[in-house]
Order: sequence, then C-alpha cells, then structure tokens
Amino acid sequence: MSAMLRLENLSVSLTRGRGNVAILDELNLSVNRGEMLALVGESGSGKTIAALSVMRLLPKGAKISGHIWLEDDDLTLKDEAGMRKVRGRDVGMVFQNPLAALNPSRTVSLQIEEAWRIHNGGSQKVARGRALELLGEVGIPNPAGRLDDYPHQFSGGMRQRVMIAMSLACSPKLLIADEPTTGLDPLVARQIMALIARLRREHDMGVLFVTHDLSVVEEHADAIHVLYAGRSVEWGTARGFFGHPRHPYSEALLGSVARVGQARLQNIPGNLPEPESRPQGCRFAPRCDYRQPECEVLLPPPDTNGATAAACLFPLPVNARPDIFAMVEQGPSAFRKPQLEITHLVVNYASGGGLFSRAKPFKALNDITLSLGQGECLGVVGESGSGKSTFGRAVLQMIGYEGSISLDGKDFSKLGRPGRRVQRRRIQVVFQDPRESLNPRMRIKDIIAEPIRMIGAAGKAPVAQQVANLLGRVGLNPEIGELLPGDVSGGQAQRIAIARALAAEPEIIVLDEPTSALDVSTQAMLLNLLKDLAIEGGLSYILISHDFAVVSYMADRIVVLNAGRVVEVNDAGSIITAPQNDYTKALVDAAPQLRAPNREYPLPTQNVTGSAI
Amino acid sequence: MSDQLMTEAIAQPGMPSARMGRLFDWASDRSTLIIGLTLSALVLFLGFVAPFIYPVDPFAIHPNHALEGPSRMFPLGTDELGRDELALLLSGGLATLIVSLPSAVLAFVVGVAYGLASGLGPVWLDRLLMRLLDAVLALPSLIILLFFASLVSLTNTSLILLLGFIAWPSLARLVRNETMAQKGRDFVLATEQLGASRFYIARVHLLRVMAPILVVNGTFMVGDAIFALSALSFLGLGVQPPQVSWGSLLETGLDIIALDPWWMILPPGIVVFAALLAASLTGQGLLLRWGNRR
Repeated sequence: MSAMLRLENLSVSLTRGRGNVAILDELNLSVNRGEMLALVGESGSGKTIAALSVMRLLPKGAKISGHIWLEDDDLTLKDEAGMRKVRGRDVGMVFQNPLAALNPSRTVSLQIEEAWRIHNGGSQKVARGRALELLGEVGIPNPAGRLDDYPHQFSGGMRQRVMIAMSLACSPKLLIADEPTTGLDPLVARQIMALIARLRREHDMGVLFVTHDLSVVEEHADAIHVLYAGRSVEWGTARGFFGHPRHPYSEALLGSVARVGQARLQNIPGNLPEPESRPQGCRFAPRCDYRQPECEVLLPPPDTNGATAAACLFPLPVNARPDIFAMVEQGPSAFRKPQLEITHLVVNYASGGGLFSRAKPFKALNDITLSLGQGECLGVVGESGSGKSTFGRAVLQMIGYEGSISLDGKDFSKLGRPGRRVQRRRIQVVFQDPRESLNPRMRIKDIIAEPIRMIGAAGKAPVAQQVANLLGRVGLNPEIGELLPGDVSGGQAQRIAIARALAAEPEIIVLDEPTSALDVSTQAMLLNLLKDLAIEGGLSYILISHDFAVVSYMADRIVVLNAGRVVEVNDAGSIITAPQNDYTKALVDAAPQLRAPNREYPLPTQNVTGSAI
Repeated sequence: MSDQLMTEAIAQPGMPSARMGRLFDWASDRSTLIIGLTLSALVLFLGFVAPFIYPVDPFAIHPNHALEGPSRMFPLGTDELGRDELALLLSGGLATLIVSLPSAVLAFVVGVAYGLASGLGPVWLDRLLMRLLDAVLALPSLIILLFFASLVSLTNTSLILLLGFIAWPSLARLVRNETMAQKGRDFVLATEQLGASRFYIARVHLLRVMAPILVVNGTFMVGDAIFALSALSFLGLGVQPPQVSWGSLLETGLDIIALDPWWMILPPGIVVFAALLAASLTGQGLLLRWGNRR
C-alpha cells in the first residue's frame, strides 16, 4: 500500500483579531490507497482546518507550514492555478451541508456535468451520460428520471448522495469528507457511511473522513487519528483504537458517546481551550483524570507500545479496555401516578395554500394517546418529519390541536385564559439550539431572573441569590451572570437555558433535542446533569430526539413515532432488548451499541499505520 | 511560492508604536461613527448654541449694505434686504432643527408602534394595517406634503405633524417584518411559555433585539426630516416668513442666482449637506458597530 496523501508536520495558523493564532500544530498523517482514515475531534480541534488545508480552501490570512504530499506532488509548492487542477480532479470533497453546497437554481445533472467538464471538457452529452452513471452509482433510485430535478426535490440523504456523485465526477484519488453525516437522521447517516465505505473500495480511493462522532466511523474506518486542541493525541488502526484506546482523552471520548442501554456516560470536566490559551504541555492535561505535574510542562512524545500511538506521558496500559460495558438493569418501570394525559391528539398543518388555491391540510400528528407519569422521563424518538417536535409543541400549548391534553386532570382546553396561562407555565421547554433560546442582547443574570420575577417568586429570596443558586444547580459559576449569551460556549449556553426553565419552577420539562447541537463530551455532561436534576427535583421530562441512544440513556419509557403515528410504546428496557416493530428495530440497530463484554478485540500484529512521526 | 506560504510570524512591534497602533486601530474601526458624531455635534452646535455666541439680530435690515459679500462686519455677507447672512443661517438652523427633530421622533414612535402591532396582532389586523400602509406608501410623499401644506396653516406644530406623517411608513414596515422574523425564535417562545403577554415580549425582548436596526433607522429619519423640511421650505411651504430655515435661505439665494450671490447659496447648502451626512454616517457607524450582534 502506498500513501495517497501524506501530511508532514503540517501547521496552520489563522488571523484572529489582531494576531495570528496557531490552529493546528505539527500534524502528521497518511491516507493509503483504498483506505478510510477518520480524523476525529471536537469543535476547535483543528480537524476541519486540516481537511481544508489539503484543498487550500483556508480563510484569508491563513499560514501553512510543513508539507502536503499527494502521491509525489507537494501541494504546498503549487500556485493557485495548480491547485485548481487538483481540486475536483485529484481530490474530491464532500461538505457537511449539501443544501448549502449545491446550487438551488440548477438541476443536479447540470451541476454534476459541470464538475466533470471543468476538468475533462467534452460535450454536454457525454457529461450527461457520466452524470447518469454517477447518480446510479451513489444509489439514487431511478437516476434517469431524477437527472433534471433540483436539489430541493431531494431529501437530505439523497442530496448528500448527489454531493458525493459530484465529488466523484472526475474519479479522484482522494475523497475528503467533512462531517458528511452530521445533521442527517441516524438511519440515513448509516447508509451514507456505508456508501462512502463501498465507493472507497470500488474506486480504490483514499478517504479522509472528518468527524466529531466516533460512533459514526466505528464500523467502517480503517485508521483513526484523534485531534485535541490542534494536536494529535492518538492515531493508529481503527481496530486497535476501539479495542484498546491508550490516550486518556480517547478513553473519555469513547465513554461519552451515548450507547443503547448504557448505565452512565463519562464526564470530561472543563471546556476545550481556546486557540489563544492552549496549555503549554499536554493540551488535555487540565481535564485529564490521570494528570501528573510533568504533564503540564512537557509535550508528550508518542508512545508506540500498543496497537496505536498515543501522545501521552502516562498512556493507559496496552491491554486496557474502555469502561463502557456497564449495562443498566432495566426492569419494567414502577407504577407512577399519571400527571399529563394526552388523548386522541391530532395536529393539522395547512400547507401550500395561496391567494387562489385552497391550503391542503396535512396531518402532522394522528390520534396520539399517551400519558406521562410523575417523575417519569418519556422519550419520543423518530426521524425528521415524524412529528416528534410537533408533539412537544402541542404539549407546550404553542400550537393549536384537536383532542385533549390535561395536566393533573385539568384539561387545558376547558380552562379560561388566566387559568390556562398559569397551568401552561408548569410545563417548560429547553430547545435544541442554545444560542437561539437565549436573547442575545440580555445579560445572563437577567435571562434567568426573568422567570423568577414573572411567576412572582421574587419575594421569596433576593433575586440575585436565587439566580446564583440556579446557576449553581446547573454547574455554573455565578460570575457568568454578567456575560452575554454570545460570550459563552454552546454547552454553557444550554445549561443557562436549563437554569431558565428551572427558574419557572416547572413540573414537566419538554427537552426538544437538547444535546444534538453540542459536542460529544459536552453532550454527555449535559445528559448527566439532566438526569441528576430530575432525581433531586422530582421533575418529569419529555425528551424528544432523533438519537435513539440518547433517548434510551435517559428515558424510562419510549414512544416511537413515524409519520405522525405512534409505532411502538413501551418501557425503555423492553424496547431496547425486544423491539416489536420493524421500524423500531431499524432505529435501535442504527444507534451506537454497547460492546459485548466478551467480544474480542485482538491486538493487531501489523505495525501502526496511518501516521508516522 | 513556498516562501510566501511559509512566512514567519512578523516580529512584535515595540511598545509605544504598538500602543499608537492600537489607538489607530480603535479609531479606524469606528471612523465612520466618530466622523458622524462629530458632524452631528457641529450641526447641533450651529442650531442651538451658536445663536447665543453670535447674538446679532437676523432680521435687522441694513439697506446700505444690501447684497454685500463677506466682510469683517458681515462674515457671511448680506442678503438682498441687507440682513446679516450668518445670523440668518444660525436662526434658520434653530428653526429647521426645532421642527425636523420632533417630527423624526414622532415618525419613529408611530412607526415602531404600528409595526409591532401589525407583527404581533392577529392576522386580520396585520392584513388591514399593511394594506393601509401600502395605500400611504403608494402616494408620493411630496404630493401629500404639498396637499396638506396648502390646506392647513403652517405653524411649527402642523409642520411637525405633517413631516412625521410622511416618514413613519417605511419604518413601520421594517419593524413589522423584523417582528415577524423574531417572534418565532426560541427565546420568544420560551418567554411565552412563562405566561408573558405580547406587550411584555415586545417591550423586553423584541425591542432589545431590534435595537441596532431601530437606532440606525432613527438617525436616518432625522436626516430625512431635515431634507424634507428643507425641500418644503425651498418650495415656500415650510417654515413661514419672517422666520427662515436652511431651505428657504437656499431658495432666496437661488432666486437671484443671476447676481451670483454665492455667499447666500453655498453656506445653507453646505449645512444641509452636513446635517444629512452627519445623520447618515452616525447611522452607518452604529450599524457597523452593533449591527452584527443579533
């Protein structure tokens, strides 16, 4: 196997504010022909910058040093005209958001033809034949019939397939995929992943797969390279890595991915350092459980004794197993007094409808009957378009509905306006995007004080005291109250949103995808926090998510929705172990699984590939 | 090529020059705003303070000095009646600002309230208010001005109302559209979940989020009001004689342009231009500074 792509001591710095900030330091990695290397890291790790520097698509003012070898060419020596010949022809690229990467005003055929003709010229007829061939290859059903469709006529997953077809137009030697599955439903994400894995084999093409989600690449990656705060922390074969991670960060990262039936997610305390304030020694040291004094001053050399190489002074033992096998004991849940009762809930949306055409109603939810017990966490799972968010909004009384929803026996629709307002307040909400759910121009302390004043709890204790208590409950420092939402990290913002919801002293909180906009380690911390808050405060949750593993981690009972109908509802344990419905089965299978404790991960005999220093 | 790519970090500049550099950066980041605010201060000074520093009676007639160019006695010359041009300019400034500033405030308040009501009210109210607004916008504002100006007697109060009436619709539409865009955001929904009234949401959340747009458009409205009043006065329908305004001064000068009284035309022209520029630059500066944080 020859290296297709080899990065040698690649460092990248970007202009930030008034100075240059190092984003990526001395990255060494190689991708072989027909091999998929997963470049894994959380936000701010420099993984995307590394991928973009291969294509030299970096923002203005970026400085690269080191070498980027594409077979025998050093890309750092090429000028802009030379790079244009590389992009698309030798190296294909797939981006995260296919809707943004495709031109909405041109048919997919024209866009694929364009990708082909820029490098190969030729007639449109030939190019169109190529486009047809490619669409078939990426698994779009009835490709001939879809050539002249526009991007918006495809679903998210199909759009990503079109994007992949475009990147394959000139049969590149290397494919760079930057988070191609992020934002897709798990079932679809799995299909895309399998497609890329298949294409790599068929075309004998190297794949640099950039992702923040370890569970996505577990099945298909050949090699793994983990970045943390701009430096490599561990690299080697995927088998070696998943079987016996050596670096404490890798272990923690593996432990914080929610898996079906997991007892407790691992917390990684603290936050990712900003590029301006990265620690001097090992960058993970401040958050590491195994930290020693020398870790904070010495740059750790790679330890290559195990199956993978780990840049750590005190790596985990060669045969260590990540502690993620603990399976929770889930019997049928105890009887709980029903608190929220939903009967024959129907939500209609009018769609289309203009000045001259009748809106045609669309049933977003169809005859849902459910109840939520006191202190229970009800998980609502489904793909996008299943009606799960609509369900949450109906419970919150944010939208109109038919049927009845009653809290403690009191039907919302039978209450007068003031009574309804008071009862509504007992159900609060935490949304997906923490930045959207906080007023960007309000100080954090005012954001949290608002509900306290509004429900008339200001008299109980000084408001500032109550705000500080709430911030403490969600694990934040009271000093953060002086900041604006734009000044805090996504995880902190979501904690603030939770504190705000708690401030209204609710009995039920609707959690609408509360962690899907967050990094893996932040997500784990937040889920643990929510679990603890429920236990100490006797809260009930309705947890809405497309991620089955997250729901199974949190929920006592799970409802599976598909196309506005309840497909299956049961205790979490029963659904995980014995899903009755085929759709549920597919969802369970698509979620990251616990590794069976007795499954063997043999130590690989071959040498560490993927990277060499 | 490779040398270019692998440029070393530039050596750190020394302390004093770095501090000067930072000061320069600070100023150049805000240059538009600084120039705008300085000009605004200058214009306000001309209108409100300068008349007391140069306490010459603008209406005193000096028949022997009619149509004289700038001299030691009359720094900006005299008009055809022999009145001191500088005194007239300052008095005209006061008259202009005293009408255009309140009318801008009036238009601002009406526009914001109308837009919020339309954006937050029920659908039927929104449709009604927006069609009404279309009707007002469909008529050219100068025609409306001329129509009403010929109907009512032109006092300062009626001028304020008149100018205010033509200026609010565009802001109202802007506020309405922005309200529509903002009211579906998660933090607004979360506030509704707390039982907040629409009035509360408008006051505490929406106005706060829209603040940059409002401030910027407010400054533009001041500029527009000065311009509209000057245009009206130029047509003889603005501030009525014996009072003068920048627009009417310009008109008198242009009436006798054959005699080339440049001292009667240039100064009022320049101050009107400066006032418009001041409002526009201040608005743009504020937008650059705060517009992105939404």
